[in-house]
Amino acid sequence: MSELTQNQFESSDDELPEEVAFDASKSVALKSVKDALDAAKREKNQLKEKRRKRQQLFQEQKKRKLLPQELLEEFDTELQKQTYPSDNKGIKKNVSTKPSHNKKDEEQETRTMPKKTSKSLPVSYRVMRIKDESDAKSLQQRAMDFVQSRLYGTGTKRTTNAELLSLKKKRGASQGAAVEFANKKLGAYKKARITRSNKRFIRQHKLIPL
Amino acid sequence: MGEFKVHRVRFFDYMPSGIRALAYNRDTERMAVARIDGSVEVFHSSDRFFQEKIIPGREQCGIEGLSWVGQRLFSAGLNGGITEYDLTNQKVKYTVDAYGGPIWTITGNQQGTHLAVGCEDGTVKLFEVNEDKIQFERNLDRQKSRIISLSWHPSGSKIAAGMMDMIQIFNVETGHSVHRMLADRGVGTSRSKECVVWSVVYLSDGTIISGDSVGMVKLWDDQTGTLIKSHNVTKCDVLALSISQNEDSLVAGTSEGTVVQFQFVSVVLGKDDKEWVRTRTFKNHTHDIRAVAEITTAVVSGGMDAQLVVRPLLDKIEVRSAASALRKIHFPHRKLVSCARKSGLMLFQYSGHLELWRLGESEGKATPGSSLFVKRNPEKLLHLKVKGEDHIGCSAVSPCGEWIVYSTASSLRLYRLHFDNNNVSITKISKLPKVLSSANQLCFSSDSSYLFSASTQSSVHLVSLSQSGCKFVGTLKPKSGSHQAIHLLAASEDGKWLASANSDHEVHIYNLQTRKVHCTVPVYSSAVTAMGIHPTTNCLFIMYADQQMCEYSIEQNEYTDWSRTVQRKGLHRFWLERDTPCLNVMFNPQNPSHVILHDMYMLCIIDKSLPLPDDKTQFYNQLTLKSLPEEQRKSHSHAFKISKTFKDILFVELMSDQSLVVVERPLEDVATQLPAPIKQKKFAT
Repeated sequence: MSELTQNQFESSDDELPEEVAFDASKSVALKSVKDALDAAKREKNQLKEKRRKRQQLFQEQKKRKLLPQELLEEFDTELQKQTYPSDNKGIKKNVSTKPSHNKKDEEQETRTMPKKTSKSLPVSYRVMRIKDESDAKSLQQRAMDFVQSRLYGTGTKRTTNAELLSLKKKRGASQGAAVEFANKKLGAYKKARITRSNKRFIRQHKLIPL
Repeated sequence: MGEFKVHRVRFFDYMPSGIRALAYNRDTERMAVARIDGSVEVFHSSDRFFQEKIIPGREQCGIEGLSWVGQRLFSAGLNGGITEYDLTNQKVKYTVDAYGGPIWTITGNQQGTHLAVGCEDGTVKLFEVNEDKIQFERNLDRQKSRIISLSWHPSGSKIAAGMMDMIQIFNVETGHSVHRMLADRGVGTSRSKECVVWSVVYLSDGTIISGDSVGMVKLWDDQTGTLIKSHNVTKCDVLALSISQNEDSLVAGTSEGTVVQFQFVSVVLGKDDKEWVRTRTFKNHTHDIRAVAEITTAVVSGGMDAQLVVRPLLDKIEVRSAASALRKIHFPHRKLVSCARKSGLMLFQYSGHLELWRLGESEGKATPGSSLFVKRNPEKLLHLKVKGEDHIGCSAVSPCGEWIVYSTASSLRLYRLHFDNNNVSITKISKLPKVLSSANQLCFSSDSSYLFSASTQSSVHLVSLSQSGCKFVGTLKPKSGSHQAIHLLAASEDGKWLASANSDHEVHIYNLQTRKVHCTVPVYSSAVTAMGIHPTTNCLFIMYADQQMCEYSIEQNEYTDWSRTVQRKGLHRFWLERDTPCLNVMFNPQNPSHVILHDMYMLCIIDKSLPLPDDKTQFYNQLTLKSLPEEQRKSHSHAFKISKTFKDILFVELMSDQSLVVVERPLEDVATQLPAPIKQKKFAT
């Protein structure tokens, strides 16, 4: 409406105003409303499509993870058949939450299926993961590491036994050389390294004529 | 007198294990010592600190604390369990899991009714001590950090707990924490590390004394929960505290190896206001001190250098005697080496394995005192590892060298050796008689046809050995008396007699043909450290822990005349003042009047035909005798011939070819393999 009035003001006074039919404006208005509705609908449909596609993708992924339908049906029937307990008594099984899904494993499952006769263990047996058992030992190990780090770790000023004995000899009644030189067993490692490096040096610099 | 070819053996790399905990029982005067490898030893403090009982440990034990409750001994460790020991049979009675994670400390109250353990998860658990077992009673309030040390108030109503960065006082009735005292973290780099309160002591007047990782000994008041006084003892940690019985003396052990004593004395003479004042410092250790204990007249300390040091407090001792000397115990008071006398083989007992070595050969002659040329080096024939986690308690090799036996707390294994040319092969005897489940002591007869195994109730099982295997023959039981475990066995050369000594100082002699008790040697106040039966006269020679000796004739059932002379005359002062016990008695077939003994520092030959020395004669007279001319020697010599050539002797044996084997373990070599010590700055180094 404002457009029409503006046109009225902008055009000269002499000309007759344009005749806009009522129908035309009505149709324009209706069209715009319809367009808006259409756009909204389209958007909705698009979102729906997107969601449907995603859902499908997820379904496929899930399907890929699970064993094929036939195997599951076979398990189900086996369960219903069994009445007596199996031979696998008291063995700590590694119960896996995510069954593996290679073809090989499936075959193995089918092969071992007849051997694993029962799915339900008697009430007095427990199934434990091997991972949990090692926790108890690691507590003791952690405690020992704590003491070790407080007494011998960083921040403590420690020296070697060889130095302690050498100092004793230096200040003792009969003064002698440091323990690494006097005691054959102690100095042996260092001496061996030194002789080897000496040999290497001589060979490198060709100090001894061949 | 005696010229012997001596095999000086230094290839036994025995490493003693560091000491982790001490517990003193005032009523029985026994000191219990726990070592890092899990073994528990009981020393008799008034019998020259003789090591009466040894309970072998096991792998991954992690023992952290010991506590006496009456006559019962309990220990707790990082494996989370509380163990009670059967001291009569020298083994573990049972283990109770505390379900709190690793246990850092265990302590019993003075009333002897409860045990408190401090766990890794921050709880103090109370266990009730019943007749036969202990039972969990309740937990005190759970705290956020681990409980490192505990101390009961003498009344039993409060417990002080040393934790990380703080000390808490618990009311035992309600289980709630009454006070929380924060320990300083120290200056410099130690500000970032938490302060560990390694040890607390709760006195009856309400004072709490704590030693922590900053090196301070702090006194706290439990009424107000505040610090009274703080003493800076060292730059490194204060690891152990111990209070005397009348609460007037405290000793603190540090990481540097010093033991510091504080005494509750009045600062001004005559006035009554008493304070804790630092008095003495003892520097007897080179490595960290993990445990101290103050007994009535001495301070006992032990740590990572594996020595047990007994330092007498001279203000408490009136008479200068053997009890007033500094005593260091390095090696165990048991034989760790066993010798096959006829075939030149030696069996070394380590904690987790056995080693069989053949001695080397030498050739040529030389003057006494010099070393001979070694023609063939000693060689290691066998390295036998123990199956399972238990450590070896005892082992033996037969005199002919064909049988090896060892026993742990849970099993006994017998092996047969075959030698063909240079190869050694070993077969395990699998079908052992059921009675041979474990032994306290093992011994072979001199002709290797019988194995004697000492087991429960002071009895000895007799097993016959042959080509086909072994067969249980019978049990030798004492008529009456104690059920204490046997720690020494000695068999006679002719195979007729067997002597056994147990921890109750009883020595029984059995007749092997009738398999009954023949006689019992009169009980002496001191423990038996070594015994041997003479090959020809069948007299039992016994050495005691207080360095007395006696000789008992088996066939006549009485002490011999020589033994009575020794008792009447008494032994020389220098002999009685020796501080290490004699561990082996040997006889020389060529000189029937000779007895060969050894302890950690000397080798001695006693000639029974010579006169005994009295207090005025020179005891160590070997050198003077050498300088005298031949005719005068006879008039000046006395019965004791002592040689101090060998140091740190673990074992001596006389082989059948008249050569001596001396197994030495130089303490310097042991020191090079200990854990790292603290660096100390000394002047002029």
